[in-house]
Amino acid sequence: MRKTIFIAIISLVLVGISIVSCKKDKKEEVTAPSLDRAPMLANYADNYVIPAYKAMVTDLKSLQTATNTFVAAPDAATLASLHTAFEKAYITWQKVDVIGFGPAEDVSLRMYVNTYPVTVTKVNSNILNGGYDLEQFGNKDAQGFPAIDYLLNGNANTIDMFTTDAQATARKQYLQAVVNKMLQKTDGVSNAWTSYRGTFVGATGTDVNGGLSEITNAYVLYYERYLRSGKVGLPVGAMTGVAKPELTEAYYTPSLTNALAQQAMATAIAFYEGKSFDGTTSGAGMKSYLQAIGTKDANGTPMADAILAKLQQAETKLKALNTPMKDAVQTKRPEVLAIYDDMQQCVPLLKVDMVSAFGISITYTDNDGD
Amino acid sequence: MNHPSLRILSKAYIGKPVYSASLAVFRVVFGLMIFGSTIRFWLKGWIDELYIQPTYFFHYYGFEWVQPLGQYTYALFALCGSSALLFVLGWWYRIASVLLFVSFTYIELMDKTNYLNHYYFVSLVLFLMIWLPANCNFSIDSIRKPFIQNRYIPRWTIGSIRLMMGILYVYAGLAKLNSDWLVQAMPLRLWLPAQNDTPLIGSLFNHVWIAYLFSWFATVYDLTIPFFLLNRRTRPYAYMAVVVFHILTSILFPIGMFPYVMIVSALVFFDSADADRLLMKLKTIFTSLPVVLHNSVYSFGRMWQRGVLILFAGFFALQVVLPWRYLLYDGELFWTEEGYRFSWRVMLMEKMGYAQFVVKDGVTGEKIAVNNNEFLTRNQEKMMATQSDFILQYAQILKAHYTKQGMRNPEVYATIYVGLNGRQSRLYADTSVNLANEKDGLKQKTWLMPFNDTIYGL
Repeated sequence: MRKTIFIAIISLVLVGISIVSCKKDKKEEVTAPSLDRAPMLANYADNYVIPAYKAMVTDLKSLQTATNTFVAAPDAATLASLHTAFEKAYITWQKVDVIGFGPAEDVSLRMYVNTYPVTVTKVNSNILNGGYDLEQFGNKDAQGFPAIDYLLNGNANTIDMFTTDAQATARKQYLQAVVNKMLQKTDGVSNAWTSYRGTFVGATGTDVNGGLSEITNAYVLYYERYLRSGKVGLPVGAMTGVAKPELTEAYYTPSLTNALAQQAMATAIAFYEGKSFDGTTSGAGMKSYLQAIGTKDANGTPMADAILAKLQQAETKLKALNTPMKDAVQTKRPEVLAIYDDMQQCVPLLKVDMVSAFGISITYTDNDGD
Repeated sequence: MNHPSLRILSKAYIGKPVYSASLAVFRVVFGLMIFGSTIRFWLKGWIDELYIQPTYFFHYYGFEWVQPLGQYTYALFALCGSSALLFVLGWWYRIASVLLFVSFTYIELMDKTNYLNHYYFVSLVLFLMIWLPANCNFSIDSIRKPFIQNRYIPRWTIGSIRLMMGILYVYAGLAKLNSDWLVQAMPLRLWLPAQNDTPLIGSLFNHVWIAYLFSWFATVYDLTIPFFLLNRRTRPYAYMAVVVFHILTSILFPIGMFPYVMIVSALVFFDSADADRLLMKLKTIFTSLPVVLHNSVYSFGRMWQRGVLILFAGFFALQVVLPWRYLLYDGELFWTEEGYRFSWRVMLMEKMGYAQFVVKDGVTGEKIAVNNNEFLTRNQEKMMATQSDFILQYAQILKAHYTKQGMRNPEVYATIYVGLNGRQSRLYADTSVNLANEKDGLKQKTWLMPFNDTIYGL
């Protein structure tokens, strides 16, 4: 008897559900393909990550050449070329920083390439004393773009520092060592991706080692800590109320700082949208995947679109800032704080709403659903 | 037992003997499950990861004194594992069951970050087992002390384990009677597509109707399965359903041992005669097995039985009442989680939070933004960001830390956003409240922001 009731209940439930879901079914068929994680991971790996590291290596090689030329004959012309190569590579780095997972995470690439603020005393003592090991973690704030930034722009007369100064030779060697280390590390990551690509694209699960989890966690961490806080929040003192201009990126090249931040913000948007590295094509990405899951914001707008709109709003405000960040954090505080607020509003959307909808886990330990 | 109706109840049910083999077999499989769990925990490196590596631990209200023991935590797990083995063998059963209950429960109390309903269930069952004569058959004790050998035990002994199982299932089912689960198919609607790379059935999970089917089926399953297991005719099918249901959940969700604990525990619903036949069969193969053959009935001392029954009555009354304590609090249970734990609410929420803390010197006004990773593990941070009692404990951790750093009268403020079951994240706590001044406790927390939505149902 009970079995009959049981079966009857189940059948009723089944029938009820199929009636309810009939309408929705058609829509689901259309969006179902983009819930497929493998093509999304392949798109990220093949059209973004791998070309990105290749471009970074190319730019760092140009920087290496320009450095060697400058070191061989430091003058206004070679310094100008070096400047150009430095700025180009630094801009490219803003497109690479967002993909700090997998091989990049394994070697702490970001630490070697862009730890700022640079500790000037450490740079100078390394130059003075020699015998430094840039591989050492303790030297992470004495190398990378910030160290080059200091070496090229941190003194009144750069050419003198590389010609007549007592430490000129040691300084030349240090500059070359820093550039070589960046190239070596980046090249290593670029090569590692050749074999890691298969692992990454094949990890279609949503566990902590899955490709989607890797990419999302790296993206969200990057956005919050290195983009929002690193480029705007910490210098303006958004949480502490005290401006710290010395914390700005490219502190010694103020004309470059805003461009770096803008490129980083543009990258955050393009990467979210699943665009290719050169920006010419669009593929499956976090946005289309979120669209397929179909969560909505409080107003009923698809969350995928709401996040894009918020990111773009922050980007617009960031682009409108026409004073170098280092000065703006003091002279245009309300404007910078407004930029920060917009950037901040994206954090819960990404870190909570997007990650939650993705259903990715952060640990291996058991859980029974909060 | 002086009231006439109680006397009838006592004769008809409580006192009526069943085969002691049922409780003995349960003792063996349940103990093996705990032993296996302990080994698994150890091998996965979780003792170190969860109880030695973290700097801070989140304590249950009233159990602040339960602390991990540093490297001796391994000894605690060794104690737990070895008492589980003694428990399985029925060797020094009474002592083993007490040690097992105490060590297992102590482990669970060390950090509420790792709260799992099935650990709670194991603790409760172990508590019951302490008082039951699970060693009077198929045990080493019964060889050592032949006078404890009994082929029959009072029915209420195995009945109490069944009742505990029944409470778990029915309350887990009742907890699903809410609009998020039944009407929105949340959170399965989010969790199932994440498993769409499961072999064979994976592509089904892209469809919303599957989430509805699973939600409704799980509700009906939880609410009815104990009754189908109790009924002799439906039992085989019901047990098959138990196996299929729990295996499926173990494939889809990272819920560890829970499915297996339930599959094994549900064996108590089988007729005790089946267990007796099983042991008899084993005895024909392995003749030296300590299986009791003579028809004697275990008898609790009169006072002892009365004492245990009163204890169990109190225990079950508490079990029945505890899940309803949330009604004493205002606000949405899923949002505040006041009265959420210890209520068999399993897999009901996709809840995620983001918490940014700022500590302010009470004298100079100087502020420091906190990096949670310097204090908490990722898992602790995740739990902290969505649960009010964790948030207050974390505020105290920060206050103590920054006082030590030389800050005077540190004030702790937090910007916390929480998203629940696919709703857009919203502010969880009042950003203007100095959380360092808020006391943790069982009272309603007044600094939580309203949920501004309604989840209908229980």
